[in-house]
Amino acid sequence: MPISPANSRKQQNLWLSTGPQPKKSISFISTIKGTQTKGYSGANQSRMALSKTLTIAPEIKAEKMSISTPRTVIQVIDAHGVDVTPRPLYHPDPHTGTAKPNKLLTSREGSFAAEFISSYSLYQNTLNPSMLGHFTRSVLGSSIVSKSSVSTTESIAEDLEEPSYKREKLTSFTDLRVVRATPGKIVTKEDLEKTIEIILTETETLRFFNLPTVMVSVESEEAMKVRRRNKNYETLCRNRLGNDLYAERMMQTINGAPKNKDVQCDKIVKEDKGIMSTAWDLHDSYIAMELSSLPAKQSILDSCGKANVPSKDREQRVPGSTTEKDSEASSLMDIENVILTKVRDDEVDHSETILKSDKFHQDLFFMERVLMENIFQPKLAAYRQLPILKEPEPEKPEDFQEGEKLEKTEEEGQKEEEEEIEISTGQSTIPANLERLWSFSCDLTKGLNVSSLAWNRTNPDLLAVGYGHFGFREQKRGLACCWSIKNPMWPERIYQSPYGVTAVDFSIGAPNLLAVGYHNGTIAIYNVQSNSNVPVLDSSESPQKHLGPVWQLQWIEQDRGTTGDDKREILVSISADGRISKWVIRKGLDCHDLMRLKRTTSSSSKKGGEKEKKGEALISRQAPGMCFAFHPKDTNIYLAGTEEGHIHKCSCSYNEQYLETYRGHKGPVYKIAWNPFCHDVFLSCSADWGVIIWQQENPKPFLSFYPTTYVVYDVAWSPKSAYIFAAANESRVEIWHLHISTLDPLIVHVANPGIKFTTVLFAKQTDCLLVGDSDGQVGVYELRNMPAALDSGRVRLKNQNYMSFNNFSYNFVSYKEFTFLRYLKCGAMERT
Amino acid sequence: MQAEVEETLKRIQSHKGVMGTMVVNAEGIPIRTTLDNSTTVQYAGLLHQLTMKAKSTVRDIDPQNDLTFLRIRSKKHEIMVAPDKEYLLIVIQNPCE
Repeated sequence: MPISPANSRKQQNLWLSTGPQPKKSISFISTIKGTQTKGYSGANQSRMALSKTLTIAPEIKAEKMSISTPRTVIQVIDAHGVDVTPRPLYHPDPHTGTAKPNKLLTSREGSFAAEFISSYSLYQNTLNPSMLGHFTRSVLGSSIVSKSSVSTTESIAEDLEEPSYKREKLTSFTDLRVVRATPGKIVTKEDLEKTIEIILTETETLRFFNLPTVMVSVESEEAMKVRRRNKNYETLCRNRLGNDLYAERMMQTINGAPKNKDVQCDKIVKEDKGIMSTAWDLHDSYIAMELSSLPAKQSILDSCGKANVPSKDREQRVPGSTTEKDSEASSLMDIENVILTKVRDDEVDHSETILKSDKFHQDLFFMERVLMENIFQPKLAAYRQLPILKEPEPEKPEDFQEGEKLEKTEEEGQKEEEEEIEISTGQSTIPANLERLWSFSCDLTKGLNVSSLAWNRTNPDLLAVGYGHFGFREQKRGLACCWSIKNPMWPERIYQSPYGVTAVDFSIGAPNLLAVGYHNGTIAIYNVQSNSNVPVLDSSESPQKHLGPVWQLQWIEQDRGTTGDDKREILVSISADGRISKWVIRKGLDCHDLMRLKRTTSSSSKKGGEKEKKGEALISRQAPGMCFAFHPKDTNIYLAGTEEGHIHKCSCSYNEQYLETYRGHKGPVYKIAWNPFCHDVFLSCSADWGVIIWQQENPKPFLSFYPTTYVVYDVAWSPKSAYIFAAANESRVEIWHLHISTLDPLIVHVANPGIKFTTVLFAKQTDCLLVGDSDGQVGVYELRNMPAALDSGRVRLKNQNYMSFNNFSYNFVSYKEFTFLRYLKCGAMERT
Repeated sequence: MQAEVEETLKRIQSHKGVMGTMVVNAEGIPIRTTLDNSTTVQYAGLLHQLTMKAKSTVRDIDPQNDLTFLRIRSKKHEIMVAPDKEYLLIVIQNPCE
C-alpha cells in the first residue's frame, strides 16, 4: 500500500475534500500507517460525520487523519494545493490505467475536485473491514478532538488498533477463506509401518524470472529488423541535437514504496536415512530374497484378502525399498518384519521364548563348558598332556635361558619324558606318584558307591559311570551318568533308577548306545544322543532276564564266519544267577545263554576243601558268576570268574563244558583282565585280598600279590606298558610296576578314611587313572614321574627270590624263572 | 526343557569365580540378571556394539561364516558373550589362578 508514514505529513496542512462518488469505484486513501480502507458500504452516517469535519477542516493545522465513507474519496492536498494523495501501487482494474495519468495531471494543477478512481484488489479486503470500522468511529471522534495536536494522530492510531467487530458486517466478505484445521487423523501403528510409496515426479516449469535477451544472433531471422531499428535509432540520436521535434522535458517517476512480503510456510521436515552396506549384508539380502520369494508370497496372499496384484507388487518392491528405509546395519530385519507381518509378541512373551529356545539352551551348554575350561584349565591341560610353558622371569640374564626353555618346551613332547628319565635315573629326587587332578562329582552322586566305569569307544572324553552298592543290604537307588572331561562338575546325562547299577559299557559299533546292568538283573540300553531318560531297550520284560545282579557287561564284536556276517556285535553279561548270556538286538533284546556256570567239583586232589562240599546238599548247582574277560585276539575264548574263586576258560562254541579251570583264589573273583600286550597272561583279583597273575597254559597262579588285608575290588592293566597295572582295594590304590618290583607296588595312594576305592580305569591316551570310590566321586589322577620303560633287558632276577607267598612250591622255581623270562620277552612289544 | 534351562543357568551362576550372569534381549532390556540394573544395562549396551562389530568383521571376511562366541580377557576378569540375533548371554568370570 503506498501510504507514506503519517509522520512525514505532519508539517503539512491537509485538506479534506469529498466529492461525489460514482457508485462503482471506490477509493479510500488514508494516511494512517499501514492501513487502507476499502469496501462497499452503504452507510451514510459516516458521510455526515465527515461533513462535520469538513467545516472545521480548513482551520486545522494539525494533520488530520480521516476516513472517508465508501462513497467519498479523500484527497490529500498540501498547503500549496498540490494533490499529494498517495495512491496504491496495485491497480488490477483496467480502468485505473486511464485514470492514473489524469490524476497526475489534475493533481499538478491542484484541483480540488479531482476524483480518483481506484479500485482495490480483492485481496486487500482482509484489512479493510476492520479498518473501516476504525475509521468511522474515529471520524466521529475526530470532530471532538480535531483541535488537538499531534497527539491526535496517535490516539486515533490507538483506536484503530482496537478490534473492530462492529463494523465488520458492513463489508462484504469476499474470499475470506478461513482455513479450518482438518481433524487430526489418528495414525495407527500399522499405518506407521506400512510401506508408503513416494512417487517423485517433475512439476511443470515455473518461471520466476524472465529476462529477455538483448542480443540477437546475426544469423537469426530478426537480425534484419533489429539492424534496421538500431540504425534508425542511431540516426535519431544524431538528429536529436538541435532538432525541433525533440524537447527536453523532465518527468517525475514514481518511486514506488517497496513493500516487503514474507511468506511463512510450514516447517519442512527433513529426515536422513542411511545404510551401511557390507559384504555380508549383501549376502544376507540375496539369500533372504531367494528364500523368501516363495513362502512370502504365500503368506501375503493369505494375510491380505485384498487384490492379489497390488500385494505382489508391494512384496516385490519390498526387498529393494527396505534398503533405503533402514538406517541400521542389517537390512534383513525390515524384510522379515514386512513379510511376516502378523506376529507381534509382547515384551514378556518374547523374553520367555528366548529362554525356551533351543539356541539359548545350546549357548548355555557352551557357556558352562567354557567356564569349566577356565576353572579347570591347568588340570585339563595336565590331563591332555599339554606342555607347560614357563613364564619368563623379569630378570634379564635369565630371560635368555627362559626364552630358550620356552622354545624347547614347545618342541618337545616326548623329549620331556627323556629329560625326566635322565633326572630320575641320575638324581631321581621325585618318586613316581599319583597326582590328583580333579574328581567327577556332584550333588546327585554324593553318598553313592561307584560300581563301574567305562570309556566311550569313539569319544575319548566321554565317560560312563555306574553308581550302585555291591552288597545286598546296602541297596539304595542307582544312577548311571555320562560325564564329559569338558565339564567335571555336572554330568551330561543322568539316568536314574530305583535299583543299583552294577555294570556299564559303551557299544563299539554304535557308540551312542550305553548298556547298563542293574542289581535286580535287568539290562537297559540307553541312547545317549538323546536327552530322554527312557531306555531304548529294556530286558525287564524278557523271559530270560537275569535273576541276580548283573556283575559285568561287555559289548563284543564277534566274527560270525559261519553265517557270513562280517562282525556282529553282541552284548555279553554275567550275573549272579550263574549264567553268561549273550544279548542280541534284533527287534528287542534277544537272549541266548553262552554258558551256565556250574559248581565245579574239584577233580584234582589238591583242593581238599572241595570234597566236603560235594557231600553237602547244594541249593543250586549254579555258581554265581562275577566277572568275565574275552581274549583280546580270539573272541571265542573267554574267562569267567565265579564266586567260588575259580576261573574258567570257556569257549563260545561249547556251552556245557569248560576248557580249563584256574584255581588259586579262595574268595570270589571280582575282576579278570587280559594283558593287552602279552596275550597269554591275565590278571585277577578277589575278595581274598589277593591279586594273581596267571598264564594261560598254567592252571596254577604265576604271581600273586597280597599287599594288604583288604578286599581288592578292581584291577586293570595299563594301556601303555605291559608291566604296569593298578589295583584298588578298600583302603588304597596301588600301581604296580613289575619291571621294577614284584614285591611292592610302585605307587600307593591311600584313601581318606571312611572311603573305599572300588573301581579303577586307565585313560587311554594320557597318563591318567580314574579311581571311583564309595562316596560317589571319580577321581582323576595323573601318573607322574613314572619311570619310562627301558628295553626289555636285564631283569634283576636276584630280587625275585620268591615271587609269591603261598601255593607255590619250589619245584616251580626254575619253571617260574623260565616263564618269567618269556614274560619279559613280551615286554619288548610294549610301548612307551 | 524349561526346567533344564533354569537349572543350567543356576549352575552357571553358582560356579566358582562367576561374578555375574546376564541374559539381555536385542533391545538391551535384561531378561535375567544377577547384577544390578545399571551395570547390566551398561554391559548390555557396550557388549552389543562390540558384538556387532565382531560379527561384522567375521562376516566381512567370509559372509558364510558367523560369530558364535566372544571372550574378552582382561586383567581383572574374563567376559564371555554368546551372541544371538535376539539375545545376548553374558557371563563375567574371575578365574582364580
